[in-house]
Amino acid sequence: MEGKGMVDFDAIRAEFPILDQSVYGHPLVYLDSAATAQKPQCVIDAEADFYRHDNAAVHRGAHELAARSTVAFERARASMARLVGACADEGGEEIVVTGGATAGLNLLATAFGNASLGRGGSAAARFALHPGDEIVVSKAEHHSVLLPFQELAARTGATLKWLDLDEEGRIRSDMADEVITERTRVVAVTHVANVTGAITNLAPIVRRAHAVGALVVLDACQSVPHLKVDVHALDVDFAVWSAHKMYGPTGVGFLYGRRELLEALPPANFGGSMVELAWMDRPAQYMAPPAKFEAGTQPVAQVVAAGAAAEWMMAIGMDAIATHEHEVAAELLKLGDVDGVSILGPCENRDRIGTVAFDVDGVHPHDVGQFIDAQGIAIRVGHHCAQPVHRHFGVYASNRASSGVYNSVADAQALVEAVSKVRAFFRV
Amino acid sequence: MDFGMSGDDLEQMYQEVILEASRNPHGRERFAPDLASEQSAQAGESVVRASHEYCAAGESHQFNPTCGDEATIHAEVSDGGDGRPHTIERLVWDGHGCSISQASLSIMVDLVEGKTVDEAMRLAGLFHQLMDSRGAGLSDESAEEDLGDAVVFQGVSKYPMRIKCALLGWEGMKASVAEALARMQ
Repeated sequence: MEGKGMVDFDAIRAEFPILDQSVYGHPLVYLDSAATAQKPQCVIDAEADFYRHDNAAVHRGAHELAARSTVAFERARASMARLVGACADEGGEEIVVTGGATAGLNLLATAFGNASLGRGGSAAARFALHPGDEIVVSKAEHHSVLLPFQELAARTGATLKWLDLDEEGRIRSDMADEVITERTRVVAVTHVANVTGAITNLAPIVRRAHAVGALVVLDACQSVPHLKVDVHALDVDFAVWSAHKMYGPTGVGFLYGRRELLEALPPANFGGSMVELAWMDRPAQYMAPPAKFEAGTQPVAQVVAAGAAAEWMMAIGMDAIATHEHEVAAELLKLGDVDGVSILGPCENRDRIGTVAFDVDGVHPHDVGQFIDAQGIAIRVGHHCAQPVHRHFGVYASNRASSGVYNSVADAQALVEAVSKVRAFFRV
Repeated sequence: MDFGMSGDDLEQMYQEVILEASRNPHGRERFAPDLASEQSAQAGESVVRASHEYCAAGESHQFNPTCGDEATIHAEVSDGGDGRPHTIERLVWDGHGCSISQASLSIMVDLVEGKTVDEAMRLAGLFHQLMDSRGAGLSDESAEEDLGDAVVFQGVSKYPMRIKCALLGWEGMKASVAEALARMQ
């Protein structure tokens, strides 16, 4: 692991122009990176520079700009592949551009649905779901995982099952052998839960899923920005994440799929740039992945900027980022020591990231958030698109602080101090 | 306490009347499903029944997706059979939410229960104007007087993210009264 002293995190923070501002007279403390991360200057520049110098349609046209933008687009794909340990070789690409993690999950659910209707032929039979088959998720899932697979189950007659949570809100990996059965075809689970910040113990889930021939879909939205992720080492079949949570632009995300699976999976979106031969009276012949899944004009400038974000993260080092945020997490967890405050999720700084959801007894999250905001500190309040996990804790909503690479221990201390004043202000 | 530049705004928003009303809200009864419970039934599935024969009841489920606040508002409106105008005979609600939404529901119940439907709708219109005032309040002093305690929400109107909290109950009142009236047809 790289030594912490090697990286100057104050200098890294200074690369984010948006953080250099006051809110209500206080220096901005941004602790809402699980919702969306801020962007370093190099990412902002990458997008602007692309439009200033290279912009053209990719993978078509023979002019100089078309060539440059195609190279930039494919180079960004390769950067993203390296960030998560996927294959970046030409012809062996395992990274598909999507409109975001939600779009990636819907792409998969739609493609599995198409396979269930017989599309993609016998090669795609492994993705098909039939009545009696099972899809397994967890109770910690973001609605973006739960709903596309709940809908897929409804469309195919499959049954939706789920892994429960323990008292701390961790996914019960020990239930994998019981919940994942011979009828299970798909297991969709989060790598890091967006409310509790808990890192899922994936190994028992992946092992069991593969033992019964099920595919594993990983929601990596909250892990890729904060941890070293190696999709091959994790042995998952598919993974999705969004660029905007990893210091890149909005409107773009990525889908990892094992190459052989991407080759067998039928497409979900149809149109230009994904077809080799199209006829009026014969079935079309689709391109090889990743193009097969990238119908229509892609968000090229955003992909290029996302690639710059990936390179920027790798230059800092994912181990160094994880170590730094681990220290911020330790400070955030001191929220649990504040009178009347309870943490929804693991209280110990182990197998978790710096995403800490908490409840202030007697004060609604919306009021907590307003009070915290008045101190110039941005946190998220509400159900964070994960209602079932809140029901697990018996609450409607919560407050959530989430770290990014630019946060300091002092940021976390400022939050803890502000939270310690909340109950007095609201006279509870 | 030092709350920096925004301290005054924060104090103005969370006036004592609001904090007090949110702690002991008027008109709140338990009749709707608890959506924080894993055993909960569907939202808005409570049985709508009027307590008086000369009334029709209406119910409206209001939800604020940004923060998960919700309220089910139950209104009972007299049928006007005696030649008198339709009147809100009973107004109760169930739900949960931030202090702004809870206090607004409470103050609304105090203000419109027992009033004619026309008067309640006029007050709802005034409250809407207050919420649209971006912190300026209403120019018409007698209108402000009519709103009674509800004028304390003037400070909330500066915060676009919170206006919906204050309006949640009023929207539910309008919808539930409309449903009760429709049932009389």
